[in-house]
Amino acid sequence: MRILLVEDDVQTALLIEDGLARSAHAVVRVETGAQAVDAAGRERFELAILDRMLPDMDGLAVLDGWRSAGIRMPVLMLTALGSVADRVRGLEVGADDYLVKPFAMDELLARIGALNRRSARDEPPTHYQVGDLTLDLLLRRVRRGNRDVHLQPREFDLLAQLMRNAGQPVTRKMFLASVWGIHFDPNTNIVDSHISRLRSKLRQRGPDPIETLQGVGYRLRVDA
Amino acid sequence: MPKVRRSAAYRLAFGYTALCALAVLVTGLGVYYAASALLRQDFDRAIVQEMASLEREYGEGGRPDLIDALTRHTGRTGNGFRYALFDPAGQSVLRQATLLRASPGWGETQREGSDRPWHARFLAVRLRGGETLIVAADTRDLDRLRDRLFGLLAAGFVLILGLGAAGTLLFGRHLRRRLEAISSTAEVIMAGDLTHRISVGPSGDEFDRAGESLNLMLDRIAQLVENLRQVSSDVAHDLRTPLQRLRGAVELGLNGPQQITALRSALEKAQVQSEAALALFEAVLRICEVEAGGARQRFEPIELGQLAASMCEMYGPALEDGGRTVLCVNGDPVMVRGDRELLVQLVTNLLDNAALHTPPGTTVTVSTRAGAAGAELVVADTGPGVPEADRDRIVRRFVRLNHGRTTKGHGLGLNLVAAIAAAHGGRIAVEDNKPGLRVTLSLPLAQAGGPGRDAPANK
Repeated sequence: MRILLVEDDVQTALLIEDGLARSAHAVVRVETGAQAVDAAGRERFELAILDRMLPDMDGLAVLDGWRSAGIRMPVLMLTALGSVADRVRGLEVGADDYLVKPFAMDELLARIGALNRRSARDEPPTHYQVGDLTLDLLLRRVRRGNRDVHLQPREFDLLAQLMRNAGQPVTRKMFLASVWGIHFDPNTNIVDSHISRLRSKLRQRGPDPIETLQGVGYRLRVDA
Repeated sequence: MPKVRRSAAYRLAFGYTALCALAVLVTGLGVYYAASALLRQDFDRAIVQEMASLEREYGEGGRPDLIDALTRHTGRTGNGFRYALFDPAGQSVLRQATLLRASPGWGETQREGSDRPWHARFLAVRLRGGETLIVAADTRDLDRLRDRLFGLLAAGFVLILGLGAAGTLLFGRHLRRRLEAISSTAEVIMAGDLTHRISVGPSGDEFDRAGESLNLMLDRIAQLVENLRQVSSDVAHDLRTPLQRLRGAVELGLNGPQQITALRSALEKAQVQSEAALALFEAVLRICEVEAGGARQRFEPIELGQLAASMCEMYGPALEDGGRTVLCVNGDPVMVRGDRELLVQLVTNLLDNAALHTPPGTTVTVSTRAGAAGAELVVADTGPGVPEADRDRIVRRFVRLNHGRTTKGHGLGLNLVAAIAAAHGGRIAVEDNKPGLRVTLSLPLAQAGGPGRDAPANK
């Protein structure tokens, strides 16, 4: 994937570039808001990682410039401003995701994967099919093979998030945000307990389709 | 003297005295002129009456009777009038005190220099027979009375000016002294001594009351400064611990055996510690964010029971995996206004605490109700609880009971809970659940009949 990285801190930028390169993404890095507006106008990128605080302008202004110029690539905003109000503003201006510094590289890569999948589709789907699993978002029904799997509402949401990103890691933070709508880390590991219940229900109908990625999160096997 | 001119106290007192003096001057002059007019009127009336009685005599018996009456009146004891009568040809018939013939009407005459100086006012009347009668009276008594009145008023005025000036100086000095006590205290405090206070007298006057208010304000400021100092030293201490361990892990990795496994384990330790430092930092920022306010803009109507139910559902599996039981008890719907994410964080922290500080087998109950005092959300457990002496303390920052090395958490959980409660106009109470701990969040009920939903102003 061709990614535009807008980050003025060289050390941070090098770490991100390194991580993206290891995941086989092609990165173009610029350091200022003006360069960012310029670069996105000249070439096509599939995704942008945009730092909120740039030396010449606010990242939000850069994003605003892109959006009003009709540049519609998904944008992941990076920021040291982590307050609720900051996040709300960032999403209002049109960021597709918002990641507060410091973050783990795995978290960033997982978010990029999710954003890429989301933007690849024009319309939100009504159902997912991965291996022998089918999930119907309208009927809120899950089937494995040809038998129903009865899930609690949150278990259903967790599975939907996994299936939406099938084959890609989904981090605990992503689950917390998409399933429960919270943007902080509780001390208690609530995600793991819910996943383990989901897992045992799915295993009644076949082998475990969910992989645990140590220290990162979970991934749905595509070959399940 | 320029000091005096710049002093508001003196200016005030001087201004007041000047105004008083002006008022006294105007009143004095008024009294003086009114009194002199009255005296002059009385004087003239007496002359007119005398003239009338003489004219009556003339009317009854002509010139002889008039001359008779004049002689009689002159001989009367205490008679202050002087008379003159001139025949129609202008020849003097009777003349006292060198009065000259004058045309009819009022006039004044005086005699200077001689052994008997006088100053008189007279009335001349042409009688029916053509004679001219003049009645005069000495005005020196009247003038003396007027002068005395003027002198008294002037003396009074000067006295008032003097008293006013003295009062001004005293009042100004008093005002200055009282105000300087306050400003000198302020200067000492600005120089860094926050313990200094304005001395308050026993009289309880306005200055004492102002001093008391200022002292209370200083107490509050000192408390805040102390709080800040405490927090920064706590943050420094609690942040240094994980950073120290992080540094230790890195050093261990660098100096220890250069094997992949040893290096990996050192790096893992370093990562755990950096995350602990970040979590602490995050919590501090979060508390600052909540305490700075501004959350109110995102307030929306929230049904507390629903929120509690979803929290139970969220935490249920994790608490059950730890061998605990979760109960959710909700009565009638309880509407409050609040920031959903902050309230979720509040309950999260309470449930985190329950998960962290109670043994397996504990029952955790989350309940909501609308009481007389407002909405209540209670998180209660049947764990070991907290000794009474510590219950108020644990709400403060960085307080961890049994300060063991293995105790998890950064000690800011309940402090954030209290901050969120305060940001919603509510409070928390930490009580004994007999056995266990019970934390009650009280919030104001959303007003019934108010706006049911916030207008989506920023969409």
